[in-house]
Amino acid sequence: MIEAHDLTRQFGSFTAVAGVSFAVADGEIVGMLGPNGAGKTTTLRMITGFLPPSSGRVTLGGRDLFGDDVALRREIGYLPENVALYPEMRVEEYLVWRGHLEGMERGLLRRRLAEVLERCLLADVRRQIIGTLSKGYRQRVGLAGAFLHDPRTLVLDEPTVGLDPKQIIAIRELIRELGRERTLLLSTHILPEVELLCGRVLIIDRGKIVAEGTPTELRERWLGALGVEVEFGAAAPGQRDALLALPGVETAEAHGDGRRFVLGCALGADPRAEIFRLAVARDWTLVELSPTRASLEDIFVRLTTHDEIEAQRAEVAS
Amino acid sequence: MNGALAVLRRELKAYFYSPLAYVILTFFLAIQGYYFSVIVAFLADPRFPGGKPLELFFGQTIFTWLVLIFAGTFLTMRLLSEEFKSGTIETLMTAPVSETQVVLGKYLAALLFYLFLWAPTLIYVAVVRAFTPVDWGPVAASYLGIVGIGALFLAIGIFASATSKNQIVAAIVTFFCLLVLFSVGLMENLVNGATAKAILGHLNLWTHMDDFAKGIVDSRRLVYYASGVGFFLFLTTRALAARKWR
Repeated sequence: MIEAHDLTRQFGSFTAVAGVSFAVADGEIVGMLGPNGAGKTTTLRMITGFLPPSSGRVTLGGRDLFGDDVALRREIGYLPENVALYPEMRVEEYLVWRGHLEGMERGLLRRRLAEVLERCLLADVRRQIIGTLSKGYRQRVGLAGAFLHDPRTLVLDEPTVGLDPKQIIAIRELIRELGRERTLLLSTHILPEVELLCGRVLIIDRGKIVAEGTPTELRERWLGALGVEVEFGAAAPGQRDALLALPGVETAEAHGDGRRFVLGCALGADPRAEIFRLAVARDWTLVELSPTRASLEDIFVRLTTHDEIEAQRAEVAS
Repeated sequence: MNGALAVLRRELKAYFYSPLAYVILTFFLAIQGYYFSVIVAFLADPRFPGGKPLELFFGQTIFTWLVLIFAGTFLTMRLLSEEFKSGTIETLMTAPVSETQVVLGKYLAALLFYLFLWAPTLIYVAVVRAFTPVDWGPVAASYLGIVGIGALFLAIGIFASATSKNQIVAAIVTFFCLLVLFSVGLMENLVNGATAKAILGHLNLWTHMDDFAKGIVDSRRLVYYASGVGFFLFLTTRALAARKWR
């Protein structure tokens, strides 16, 4: 359980983070989304104890991270943005060093090292010099270093950047596994990743949390109801009226040659099953039935593009 | 102190993994070897007054100082700058180690490498011993001076390294500071006021080293180096913590 209480961080007169509060519970994967410069990395640096906030507190199971107890940092594993490693060291050597830094005892370190190398798919490069590794491998070395000491809380800043699609799948699988038994907070700007991995999303913009919730909640709150596209094999009279008569369907627009309809539904309603039964009952061949669910991407764009909108408004006003 | 030990070990490895260590070692030994041979040749010439080769090796000439100032600069310039530049400082400062442990680990690594640099010069002592009796007191005092002044220089260097993410800037700052520290004592001979002369006399590293080479150990000087080391290491931990207030 890691909690941010009203975190604010100023750099000179610039406020990078303004009053951010949230909590991540054990066994939860929370994703932090935001455009570049929104304050994601600054927030994560505060959450991990690297950067003290200008005001506000970070607590770990109720204890203050910026108190006198340096050992409290042992409970956090952190993968910084751009994965900074020592290029002259070998993979295994680097991980052993991370273990020593965390004060791990020898036998435990040996066991964890073997496990981590295997889980991060690093066993075949353990003797390689980090500087000679590709970006994907370096990313995995960083990730391995972050959870080597088995911290209860993991904070990952853009963990899948620079990986090829196959590696991305493998790393996401690993993150999902790690999140099961831990508190996991990750930042990303890859939206499908959030949908795939995270139980909860924080959308952060200009230093503030502008939306928070499960991907489904966000969709409902910010883009309202479901839309459904229906296409029948052939147009038949009464199709539009029959669709409109279904519970939850509010609008039905005919498209194309009259056998394709775009339905607007009431909030929370999902008439797809009824549409299928209707088609069976009337013997209409159903060739398409698809939800036009708003993606997180739409929400994200809607929530974070006010700069342009405001600029346009200002232009119009002047 | 496990954290400091981990930092120390990694830092020592970093010296030997990079070409910098070997370049420094090579030039250091080439210069010292050349210089030692010049002294021996000079003393062997019957036209010149005799002297003690080791006393000349450690004191009375500018060579020792060139070596000390360059070593102080090159050994420390990357210690913290590189961590800032590459971002590895984030890993380090989110691990359960304090700023003091990081600074101590890195400083001790630099100091150990510095000692390693000087270790081969013991061969010169052995060479002299092979031909003439050696007065061990002044030799020990000389090495004490080399370690004391070196420790002070390295502490200034690590502090400069903590103030910039650019190694070259750190090197220039260190070089300038060491030059000032070295030359301020030489002003002793240029000022007239008795007080100023006395103060500068105490700070005159040149006479410090000359005295060490003759076997004179003044404990006030050792206190001066030790407090200088403490002061600059403390400043370094503050500079490292300063990222928090920027």
